[in-house]
Amino acid sequence: MKSGLFGFAILASLVFVAVIVPFYAPYDVVRNWSSYGPWQDNPRYAAPEWSEVFTGKHLPRTMIFENDTFRRAIVREYIPPPKGPLNITLINMTKTFYYDFDDFPSELSLAITAVFPAQSPAVQITLSRPDGQFVPLLTYSVRNEFRNRSQVITQNVAYSEVMESKIRAWIARENNGVSPDKLTNATILPEVALFAKNDSAQLDGHQAHLLKGFYQLIVEYTGFTLVDDVGVRFIVEGTVYGLAGTDDHRRDLLTGLLWGAPIALAFGVAAGGVVVLIQTLLGALGGWYGGPIDEFIQRASDFYLVIPTLPILILVSLFYRPGIVALLFYLVAFGIVGSTTKVVRSIVLQIKEEQFIEAAQSYGASRGRILFKYIIPRIMPYTFALVALSVPAFIFVEASLSFLGLGDPVLPTWGAIIGEAYTQGALFYGWWWWIVFPSAGIIYTTIGFALLGYAFDKVLNPRLREE
Amino acid sequence: MPALEVQNLKYYYRTRRGPVKAVDDVSFSVEPGETIAIVGESGCGKTSTANAILRLLPRNVEEYEGHVRLSGEDVMEYSTEEFREKVRWRGISMVFQGAMNALSPTTRCGLQIAEPLMVHLGSDREEAVAAAAEGLKNVGLSEDVLRRFPHELSGGMKQRVVIAMALVMKPNVVILDEPTSALDVMTQANIINLLKNLQRDAHLAYVFITHDLGLASELADDVAIMYAGKIVEIGRASRVYPGPQHPYTQKLIHSVPLLRGESAPDFIPGAPPDLTDPPLGCRFHPRCPLSFGMCGWSAEDLQSFLELRYRAASEGDRLGAAKFDQKESWRLVVTPGKDVSPQALVAKIQALIQAESSKSPVLRAIEKVRVGSNKVEIVLYEATIPELLGEDGQRAACWLLTEEGRKRAAS
Repeated sequence: MKSGLFGFAILASLVFVAVIVPFYAPYDVVRNWSSYGPWQDNPRYAAPEWSEVFTGKHLPRTMIFENDTFRRAIVREYIPPPKGPLNITLINMTKTFYYDFDDFPSELSLAITAVFPAQSPAVQITLSRPDGQFVPLLTYSVRNEFRNRSQVITQNVAYSEVMESKIRAWIARENNGVSPDKLTNATILPEVALFAKNDSAQLDGHQAHLLKGFYQLIVEYTGFTLVDDVGVRFIVEGTVYGLAGTDDHRRDLLTGLLWGAPIALAFGVAAGGVVVLIQTLLGALGGWYGGPIDEFIQRASDFYLVIPTLPILILVSLFYRPGIVALLFYLVAFGIVGSTTKVVRSIVLQIKEEQFIEAAQSYGASRGRILFKYIIPRIMPYTFALVALSVPAFIFVEASLSFLGLGDPVLPTWGAIIGEAYTQGALFYGWWWWIVFPSAGIIYTTIGFALLGYAFDKVLNPRLREE
Repeated sequence: MPALEVQNLKYYYRTRRGPVKAVDDVSFSVEPGETIAIVGESGCGKTSTANAILRLLPRNVEEYEGHVRLSGEDVMEYSTEEFREKVRWRGISMVFQGAMNALSPTTRCGLQIAEPLMVHLGSDREEAVAAAAEGLKNVGLSEDVLRRFPHELSGGMKQRVVIAMALVMKPNVVILDEPTSALDVMTQANIINLLKNLQRDAHLAYVFITHDLGLASELADDVAIMYAGKIVEIGRASRVYPGPQHPYTQKLIHSVPLLRGESAPDFIPGAPPDLTDPPLGCRFHPRCPLSFGMCGWSAEDLQSFLELRYRAASEGDRLGAAKFDQKESWRLVVTPGKDVSPQALVAKIQALIQAESSKSPVLRAIEKVRVGSNKVEIVLYEATIPELLGEDGQRAACWLLTEEGRKRAAS
């Protein structure tokens, strides 16, 4: 009985998760699970935040500096002839932040949104460091590449070639410790170089020494009308994120994992419930009526039992890429008759001979009435146990298909998350969180249903009953 | 007019080994307000008779015929649907063997009692349950039993529920199939009293099926003794109990243990016969202490007897028979061995008859022994099934009741 309670507790916790997950991440978020947009601000391959207890370091969190957190100074001026006539707008935006983490950020993201009705404006970006140095990152003019008079242009300027050469130039100027050979050939990692001390290891991602303290990002904008405007969004991506980390698409895995619970539950219970119910009804029908009906149902279930469902589903999924509802439908179609039909039939054959059935016949109850009022209620408890025991199988089928990349193309399921982790080489790169949590979800759910099923079994099967 | 009249009812099951003659030519009738007890050993066809009357037939029915008249109307003519509507529970209801099993474990008792009403009259639930409450009161149970499940009741209570269920449609005839066999003696007495009261109030006719002669005597006006699918004795209880005529009835009555009797209870040696191949003639004759030539011995019986003697005898005393050949059930042809003449064989057989016919009834069945050129033909009395004989109050199927039989038995 204890195992049953345990299983019930597991299921209750899953149901609880299923109930609260829409509050954590509404369905809209999940619908966009496979698109890039909503996840852009997150770091990539970030471990869970709490994993820093293993390293003992204060690992960098993501810092997002929105436009309105920048300090802004604007000068708009009309310069008359002879120097002009010239309209000019000067905007100076600065953001100061304190970098106190024990590791380099994983990535930088700097988006400049320029609003300019006519001429291309000029933008200069500079980073001021705690050691007093100013690093000119970029001087460029915002171009409307499409020449379609669009006036709002957003460009992510981190990781441009211009920026890279500017950083090389700065290191060449300020740091004599780096060999010229390295300076010209080493890959520049801005998130490391900009946050490292000026020493010989500055260009070396693994050995560079972190420079903690106040940093300031300075954006100077020069526009050539009086209505020009600029917006800046600066993100210093951390190396840890949330409770479950992120994946290659920068997605918050916690969202996917939590949504995996209701999806797995709904899928497993719906598939298990419908399949077992149909099989029970058909089994009972065959057992009770006997004759050609029974023969037909039994031969059909023999036939269904030898159909290799999973390979066929893989084939179907390859061609049609079904959603989760279609998949459910396929599973039901492949499980109209099967092992449950046989089990239930044998139970019905037993019940059929009991005297209360004879009594019911003697007072004139029709065959259908006896089936639904006397026999089905008797096999219902077995059916519940069979549902509980069959749910994990269906969860596994869904997970297997998703793992093979053939599951629902939109929704995050545990199997799909494991599948993506596998194809991205998560185990090779050590992105353990990407594999461990969804696997744990599947195992947890399966154990829950299995324990519940065994508990049912013990209640229903007198020979297994505990003293 | 009898409430129920059963005439020449035959009900054979089909099996791979041939038909099982579970009910073979059974006739009886019961008047309204009276009880007929059908008594017999396990497997003698009592319950099959009940099932045959209610037409509760399994798939493997070989033969099912005869007449069942309900207040004069022959219900055997009815179609299945007609029978279900008019006879089951309206005309005849049944209390099943072992009430524990006759109730559906997943239905509350109230609904269960009400079920026949809902099935037959199409009454709605409340109406039917109200009738069920009434029925429960009649069998002495309180109304809260309505909401209980069968497993929450004691054996006696369950039996009362089953009885209430049988009476809910107010039938004329109730078949009681071992209604008390799973109950303790006190509860048994209670239930029997209840049944008596119900019968008096509603003028019911009971067919009371039991293996317990004592219990049958409590309730029965008439008693029918069944053996191997046939009624061997039937009559008023007041006459059958004190003066049983059939040897089987006599044995049966003597096998009832007395609480403080001097004599130990008697028993009947052997086991009931295989009903796929019942003995010829009187079916009881192989176990009957009084059996004689006419009772139904066959050539097969004689052959096995002779073979047994042959094996038991010492070398000089052997029959000298080489081969047995059963021509008919009443004719056995014996071929003597190489160095034995047919005449010598006949002499040996005659000697055997002389010496042992008092002990072995099968030898008494030999009518004559004929000598052929090189074989011996033994002719037996032809086996015929005895009819129920005697006047109306008590009839028994035994050759001893005939003039000829008595003569033969004496010789």
